[in-house]
Amino acid sequence: MRRVWLLAAAAAAYLLAAWMVAPGFYDGFAPAQPYNWLCPPFHVAANQPPKSGSLQIKIIGGVSDANSAFTDDVQVVIGFLPGAFDATGKTVIAVDIKPVSPCPKPPGLTFVTNTYLITAGAPLVKKSSLLMRYSDIVPAPSTVYYSSSADGPWTSIGALSEAQPFTIDTTTDKLGYFAAGYPTNSVSHSSSTTWLLPLAIALLIIAVLVAGIPLAIMRRRRAGVEGEPDESEP
Amino acid sequence: MLSVLKSRPAARVAVIGTYILLVEWTRALSSNVSHAAAAALILGGFALLLAGLGWPADRLGLGKSRLGFRILGGFALAVVLLLPAAARASAAPILPAFLAVPAIVVSVGEEIAFRGALYAALDDIGGVPVAIIGSTALWTAAHALSHPPEFLFAVAAAGLLLALWRWACKDLVAPIIGHVIADLAL
Repeated sequence: MRRVWLLAAAAAAYLLAAWMVAPGFYDGFAPAQPYNWLCPPFHVAANQPPKSGSLQIKIIGGVSDANSAFTDDVQVVIGFLPGAFDATGKTVIAVDIKPVSPCPKPPGLTFVTNTYLITAGAPLVKKSSLLMRYSDIVPAPSTVYYSSSADGPWTSIGALSEAQPFTIDTTTDKLGYFAAGYPTNSVSHSSSTTWLLPLAIALLIIAVLVAGIPLAIMRRRRAGVEGEPDESEP
Repeated sequence: MLSVLKSRPAARVAVIGTYILLVEWTRALSSNVSHAAAAALILGGFALLLAGLGWPADRLGLGKSRLGFRILGGFALAVVLLLPAAARASAAPILPAFLAVPAIVVSVGEEIAFRGALYAALDDIGGVPVAIIGSTALWTAAHALSHPPEFLFAVAAAGLLLALWRWACKDLVAPIIGHVIADLAL
């Protein structure tokens, strides 16, 4: 019985230690998804500062051209449809994406990406697609937050289905401050791959229980018949 | 040389420990070379398996007795190893398919080397406590180059759990299964 308790204590110690570092223990075979942090998590040793991005959108026949603006490290991509801007009186529209410093930390929300300020020389009149990349060492965000000021208030503008791993997509009809995150008191995160690992673990737990209970009963009966102690050597 | 190793358990521990550490560190460094990751992992995994050569299967904790219990134990260990990652699911990197075979080879190699050969060698010189603590310490040191320092507590705790299973159940099959599943998942 002492061995069982020692194993249980070791399992508990492991769970505690692994919980303190995302994603928990792994042998590190999976390629990392590097992310350039403005305010890196405490466990990030090496970090590069995030990049900015800019784009000049042409006005063709009075209509803004279709194009995409992105940061040089491709952590933020915003795509504009033809006529996405009110191009009245413009010949070109400048779009800028800049990481915001200091990092906003609104109460009740956890941002898992940098906050970016996206500005343009003309107002948006059509929805534009926004993609934000996030790191593999943080919990996945459940939504993208928008604010017209770095001080907030922050509004969730939702998230579309994930096109690629470690990215979150949404649409926006206005420009301003954007960050991906989740409510601090929430543990649910949207991702198309989110359910895979929990499902596998659930199946393993079921397999252990379904097969383990009969095995334990058989062992107990055999021990009873043979008069052996319960904790016989393997 | 071999006769010296057979007659001197301490020398055997030193040779096995040094060999395993060198293999693991070389593997960790060469895995960073672009396009060489899979090859480095497979070669490193097979090199670790060599540490188990010459040991009787039962000394390594291998055997077919109570196979159902061992397999089930492997599943249970996998559940424990993966539970923190599963709880925050999408924070976990998904292992690319091309690294599946290398991950299996390395997982089996690490178990044979650390909880198999090294554990048995340490057991010979200092008994179970030395085997558990020593194999866990070397396992942690072996991951020092491949993992950020913050991860090493979790690595050490995983090593301790697997070593305790090795002692409590006199079994290496379950740690192998648990380790393989964990590495395939992440």
